[in-house]
Amino acid sequence: MKKLLAVVLTVAMLLSLVSFAAASSLAGEYEIKVWVADKIKDLTEKQIERFNETNEDGIKFKAVVESQGEGDAATNMVNDVEAGADIYCFAQDQFARLLTAKALAKLGVKAAETVTATTDEGAVKAVTTGDGTMWAYPLSADNDFFMFYDKSVIPDEDVDSLEKLVEDCEKAGKYFSFDLKNAWYNSCFFFGAGCKSEWLTDDDGTIISVDDTYNSDKGLIAVKGMKKIVDSDAWNSTSEVSAFESNSAIVVSGIWYSKDAQKILGDNYGVADLPSYNVDGTDYHLTSYFGFKLMGVKPQEDKVKAAALHKLAQYLTGKDCSLDRFEAVGWGPANLEAQAEEAVKNDPTLKVVNEQREFSVIQSAIHGSWWDIGKVIAEEIQPIAADDVDGLKQVLQNYENKMAAVFTMSSAEKEAWTVIGMYNEADGFFFTDYSDGKETWTADLAMVKGDNGIWKTEQAWPMEAGVEFKVRQGKSWDVSYGNGGDNFKVEEAGTYYIVFDEAATTISLEKAE
Amino acid sequence: MSETSMKRHMGLRASRAISNTLIYVLLIAISIIWLIPFFCIVLQSFRVESTWQVGYVIPKQWGFDNYVNLFSTDFPRWYVNTFITAVCTALLQTVIVLCMSYTLSRFRFKMRKPLMRFMLILGMFPGMLTMIILYRVLKDLGLTQANATPGLILVYVASSGMGYYVSKGFFDTIPKSLDEAARVDGATRFQVLKKIILPLSKPIVIYTVLTAFMGPWGDFVFARYISFGASAGMNVAVGLYNWLTPDQINKNYTMFCSGGVLVAVPVTLLFLFLQKYYVEGVTGGAVKG
Amino acid sequence: MKAYSDLEFLRLNKWQKMLYKLGRFFSSIPKGVAQLFIKLWGLIKNVFLAIGREAKDIVSTFIHGDWKTKVSYLVMGFGCLARGQILRGLLFLLFEIVFIGYMILAGAYWLSMMPSLGKVGPSEVYDEIFDTYVTTYNDNSFKILLYSVLTIFFIIAFIYTWRINIRQNKIAEKILASGKKLKSAKDDLRSVVDDQFHKTLLALPLTGIIVFTVLPIFFMVLVAFTNYDGAHDGYASNLFTWVGLDNFNTMLSWSSAGGTQSYAATFGEILAWTLIWAFFATFTNYFLGMFVAMAINKKGINLKKLWRTILVMTIAIPQFISLLYVSKMFAKDGIVNGFLMGMGWIDKALPFWEDATWARITVIVVNIWIGIPYLMLIATGILMNIPADLYESARIDGANPWQQYTKITLPYMLFITGPYLLTSFTGNMNNFNVIYLLTGGAPTNPAASSASGSVGYTDLLITWLFKITTGAESKYYLASVVGILVFIVVALISLIVYNVLPSIKNEEDFQ
Repeated sequence: MKKLLAVVLTVAMLLSLVSFAAASSLAGEYEIKVWVADKIKDLTEKQIERFNETNEDGIKFKAVVESQGEGDAATNMVNDVEAGADIYCFAQDQFARLLTAKALAKLGVKAAETVTATTDEGAVKAVTTGDGTMWAYPLSADNDFFMFYDKSVIPDEDVDSLEKLVEDCEKAGKYFSFDLKNAWYNSCFFFGAGCKSEWLTDDDGTIISVDDTYNSDKGLIAVKGMKKIVDSDAWNSTSEVSAFESNSAIVVSGIWYSKDAQKILGDNYGVADLPSYNVDGTDYHLTSYFGFKLMGVKPQEDKVKAAALHKLAQYLTGKDCSLDRFEAVGWGPANLEAQAEEAVKNDPTLKVVNEQREFSVIQSAIHGSWWDIGKVIAEEIQPIAADDVDGLKQVLQNYENKMAAVFTMSSAEKEAWTVIGMYNEADGFFFTDYSDGKETWTADLAMVKGDNGIWKTEQAWPMEAGVEFKVRQGKSWDVSYGNGGDNFKVEEAGTYYIVFDEAATTISLEKAE
Repeated sequence: MSETSMKRHMGLRASRAISNTLIYVLLIAISIIWLIPFFCIVLQSFRVESTWQVGYVIPKQWGFDNYVNLFSTDFPRWYVNTFITAVCTALLQTVIVLCMSYTLSRFRFKMRKPLMRFMLILGMFPGMLTMIILYRVLKDLGLTQANATPGLILVYVASSGMGYYVSKGFFDTIPKSLDEAARVDGATRFQVLKKIILPLSKPIVIYTVLTAFMGPWGDFVFARYISFGASAGMNVAVGLYNWLTPDQINKNYTMFCSGGVLVAVPVTLLFLFLQKYYVEGVTGGAVKG
Repeated sequence: MKAYSDLEFLRLNKWQKMLYKLGRFFSSIPKGVAQLFIKLWGLIKNVFLAIGREAKDIVSTFIHGDWKTKVSYLVMGFGCLARGQILRGLLFLLFEIVFIGYMILAGAYWLSMMPSLGKVGPSEVYDEIFDTYVTTYNDNSFKILLYSVLTIFFIIAFIYTWRINIRQNKIAEKILASGKKLKSAKDDLRSVVDDQFHKTLLALPLTGIIVFTVLPIFFMVLVAFTNYDGAHDGYASNLFTWVGLDNFNTMLSWSSAGGTQSYAATFGEILAWTLIWAFFATFTNYFLGMFVAMAINKKGINLKKLWRTILVMTIAIPQFISLLYVSKMFAKDGIVNGFLMGMGWIDKALPFWEDATWARITVIVVNIWIGIPYLMLIATGILMNIPADLYESARIDGANPWQQYTKITLPYMLFITGPYLLTSFTGNMNNFNVIYLLTGGAPTNPAASSASGSVGYTDLLITWLFKITTGAESKYYLASVVGILVFIVVALISLIVYNVLPSIKNEEDFQ
């Protein structure tokens, strides 16, 4: 008997050891803070509970879930990353800010692969910077705007034409609510006319430059189109559906208000994608800026907790949880499997979202100043006569000037030296972009200032013989050095730090150990 | 009374009657203008059909739903937090302000003038800026987010010494001969304060308590910065203000108004009963700036 | 400006008199400013002279002092202990021990980090096993700055205490030399509630002010010389560091990147509006509040308490609720426009918040709504204090109500509330709530929209400062520069007024 007991005990011990070894990677209890929108607070609590029960790694989260407006979440994260939530939801427009504040942890390689495979293509693009660094988990794919209207005022056949809609509203003495004093909304005129506004980022999530064509002939078409509504007395700049209660017949807004709009309008509830505007005989369909709701994980010092948090974030943005949210609050899933569900496909509001998506531009990391620069366009063109082309062009010129000023440098940046050059095709670590068919420099390799004015790259790079580069100051060609007037050339292959002596203006290579 | 003076008297009375009527009309007009927003907010708080602000004033559906629903939110918690903050602030701040103002009014010491000038200059610095650093100090003390209430009390009270002007002005109006007589009789400075000055200072004490009590109810900027992300540490202003985000505003706006009405209740009541002292305190003091 | 003699002055007509007075006021400003600078110079000179005197005294005390005194230079409180003043001595000694302990354990480290504000920023590595990026946080610039400022304050406090310790020795020696007895611990305790009572009373308030007002302000002034912003938060994103006068150059330079409005121009525009706003907000409230108070106080008006209570009720609802509501009332589709159109008085919505001039007038008008109750309360009390016989004799002289007002009420009010007017002017310059809640600065000023936080036509410097802080890039350093400039403007205005208006200068006049 005793023997048997001993055997049983030993086996039990061994088993527990084995199971311990298997789970040792992530098992454990973690206290975490989670910030989500008020609407899904209770739901998220339940989902985390379900995760605790079902996950195979033995992870247990003791989560404090707090409701936070998606804008507030980002603001609070930026104010103090340390005190912020471990997992939090935010809207696309806050993405760049959070990147700058380093409030988002990069996704691991496998996590990124999983997300890429299971998530909406646009959403993947929206959370990616540079060559493929991913920073967040797409939570929903429905953050764009379209049109709610009052059927008793607006005939269904007019919803495709901005001009007709304005006319209908004027005739009925009703307002056309369209928040054009917001860069997000007024961009639809520019994108509709074919303008571009893309911010280029690097792998670290830093915004490097912008490719923006607002100030162009297309942009002129856009402002002419915008004049049509801005000049009308019917224009009211808001995106609140409660405007229906204050004499509005149309409100341009998003899915977050669809239930409220239905409640207010009742049988007269109408919803449609954005209309087209007509300039000089051509129709331009308003093209919205399509964003996503995202879920981010805060950078962690504890790798085990970090891994566990990423597991949870994956779970919360996975198929089941996305469908939960769709059912509870009507959010359109970003998860591909969830998108394929019949109920999701047939949802009337999501249908409009997807119709609008045909006419949309995917939003990625946008520099924070853009919101302030873009939002004034509608107000700025208002006093200008519709046929005053020069005046309108001036508005676009002002916009361009302000955009250019975004990338002003601090004096430290102006004084800093960087390496700029090209590399052989083998594994081009340097920053030469041939995508336009011509060679353009897009980025500089930073150097760190040491003692006595010696600048050195932060890490050593493998270089082949024949690699050429120069160093320059303030990322401009005003002051640059190579080998005399020529590029500096690497003579012997190896892994080197690049060293620049500011006083002697000489470049040298320092072999890494 | 002669006939002419009688006539003049009647003329005077007539003109006074006319001017008084005009004043009544004016006062009624002013009262209406002043009360419109107040009443509108109260009406909103009884509006059952909940969306954000609407183009009409009279609710389509009346009810107490908003008030009832308030209690299923964190509102009671916020209310208690604010109440505690307000009471503690009122008590401690009064002590601090009275210490400060009494000293500056009654004692003549070398650093007095430089001190007053220094505080005047400090007051010119926009306080909003120091929000960031105060947050960090409180964070190091562990008094932010869920523990924000004691943190807020600490900050409100700590810097309240700068607001000594009004009560110093009040103390200045109490004749110094009273103190001197008591001093001659051998009373210590402390006894003078306790036995002679304090009993005379009821209006200014009440004024200080009242203003200190009112402050915390409306602070949404600083309190928000301190208690972010933790509903348990918020005050009413922050909690209610957070309902104005797009995803909640249509659901919660009318509740926001009813919360506001409940906030106004204690302050209004205090004002109604203590108005007399408030006026006495403020006129004794404010005039000296 | 030519000065008239009394006789000449009396000969002038009403308008000339007024112009003359105004002229005198403005012509005295340069003199006031000049005096101000002379005073400032005097102040600086006195500070240095005082430091010199102190140093001399410290040296001479050492030379002439006995050995107890000399040891006290190193061991604080030694003199007191040796002379039997145990309580004092122990307090001094304890303070020294705490100070030295702190400096060794922490203070020295913080001070050594102050010049660089941190050397190692956060770093990040990829962990393959867990498929996750792990961050290591290192130095914290914010903490370094904060604690080095604290340390500096602590050192100043120590030097001050050390100085007192030395002076105590000198005094004690003198007392003993004259054959008197030193104060015992009991005497010390009694003085806490008696001759030193003011120090007791001030201890707590002043500690609070130093820690929660002076220290933060000092810190924020230092921030103006760093690059502390959202991208350099000193800990999680990047360290921040000293940048010298860069931020002041940015804010005060008139040149700017290609065709956009410079910060200096933006600052100028906002400052101009801030001053206009402060002027109107102060004086509209002042005169209208006085008027309402007079109306309520008038003889023969009943229900005085009711009228006052109605006005005061607006104070009770927190501004963040009432002002938000009022803001929507005046919106294009708000109830004010709805009402006016419904009555057929207008056929197009009035642009209360859409047009710059309209918006500016509207905020001033709404501010009257907020301010009158306070002013009414203040004015009520003052008006009741005006001796009734003044009016009686004026009536006998045949003065009409308007003359009574301009000859008695107004001068009396102005005299008494002069200082209040000044504080309320500077208070209005920093009146955050009204602008933030009513308009949020709208309508936007297109030219200035590249400046941090998108500036609007109703933005005050203080709301701009807030926008910079909470804006997309969280440029704390720029906010700090604006804060310092606001301080300079407010201080200049106050000092000029103080120097020009003699009645404000002398507080004893009021007693």
